[in-house]
Amino acid sequence: MKSSCRFGAIAALAAASALSGAETRLPADQLAKAIRTDSISIPTPGELFAALSKPGKPNWIGQYRGPVPTTYRDRAQIALNLGGLIADGFIAVEAKDSQQVKNIGSDIIKLAKALGVSENLLRRGNSINEFAEDDDWDTLQEELEATQNEVKSSMQTHSDQDLVILVSLGGWIRGTQVVSSSILQNYDQQAAKVLRQPALVSFMQSKIAAISPDLRDDPLVKNVSEQLTEMEKLVSFPAGQAPSVDDVRKVNTAASKMMTAIRSKTESQ
Amino acid sequence: MKLIPTLLLSIFSVAFSVSLCADTDAEVTARKEALDLAGAFTNDGFKIRDGHWCGTIKPHEHALIAVNLYAGNQYWFSVGATEQAKKIAVNVYDESGKQTTTDSYNAGDQVAAGFSCTSSGQYYVSVDLLDGEESSFCLVYSYK
Repeated sequence: MKSSCRFGAIAALAAASALSGAETRLPADQLAKAIRTDSISIPTPGELFAALSKPGKPNWIGQYRGPVPTTYRDRAQIALNLGGLIADGFIAVEAKDSQQVKNIGSDIIKLAKALGVSENLLRRGNSINEFAEDDDWDTLQEELEATQNEVKSSMQTHSDQDLVILVSLGGWIRGTQVVSSSILQNYDQQAAKVLRQPALVSFMQSKIAAISPDLRDDPLVKNVSEQLTEMEKLVSFPAGQAPSVDDVRKVNTAASKMMTAIRSKTESQ
Repeated sequence: MKLIPTLLLSIFSVAFSVSLCADTDAEVTARKEALDLAGAFTNDGFKIRDGHWCGTIKPHEHALIAVNLYAGNQYWFSVGATEQAKKIAVNVYDESGKQTTTDSYNAGDQVAAGFSCTSSGQYYVSVDLLDGEESSFCLVYSYK
């Protein structure tokens, strides 16, 4: 009953739309001290794709890529690819493609197991399959997000917390590659605005700077980190201004270059 | 009809997170309150982000949490708190620190602020304890 009343109140609120917008400004020193965490300050690929879909439905199937190897040995590379695969899962959900969701779900579990993360993930894999069978797209999206969080939580409990940011980073790079590619296919100023994220890239760079020296010196992490510096400049458009087609192309080229490095297997692998 | 599975999933997520994130009992309570409120917005097509921030807040102080949002999306930031909090407020500020105009919902220890994002980038969510004693609170957000 309590909930029903509350929902009613919220419905009334929507109609009344009480506004609170006094001209208040927080000083820069307070903004600098704001809490920033992986779990709430880094948006999911689902949020990015939701924004991209506003001006018109993108051709999600056109953004598929071939299967990602699941036999990497380098833990940093596994973490980065895991993030990219989770982003692929969101794309398949947007495309409402149950078989693709199941294929990607299976690859996510394989990669996660290679990192030795929680056995609970097997249950997540089964859930993804069941929801895909039932075409339950909203729940699938939640399940993908929960899977990503479970991977990260498991990394933390296994003292692999340094890998967490790499999962987030891999997802962001793949999401940015897909979104910029989609915008290039059908340029729209409103859609192009989603690419502006300088603070997000800066935050991820600061997290990478804080990981252990060994992991930071991993050739792939070093490579991606260096490219991220360039990427920060590419996504730093003035607030409210849409990037041009050429700007979007540069972002896409940079993201694609990073994805190629993340995905490529070396001779030793 | 989709609300029930969504809420069940959210409750499951709470239980799961408790064991992994070692939130305090008070933070778990606050998170349940926040998810309860956020669940109402799913009726309007909002998806609850499976991430949260829990902490404590003292009277007349505020917690500031940085989020990165996308132009074109609509957001609701829902905050739940323990019963020591008599009145809390949630506000959203843009990357320059300027307060944005938001829709608001306020039921004492449960508050929410909603707005449509027109410029992608970093925003700050402020949670203020206006009345009551030191309390645990939790922030979750939804988007569509």
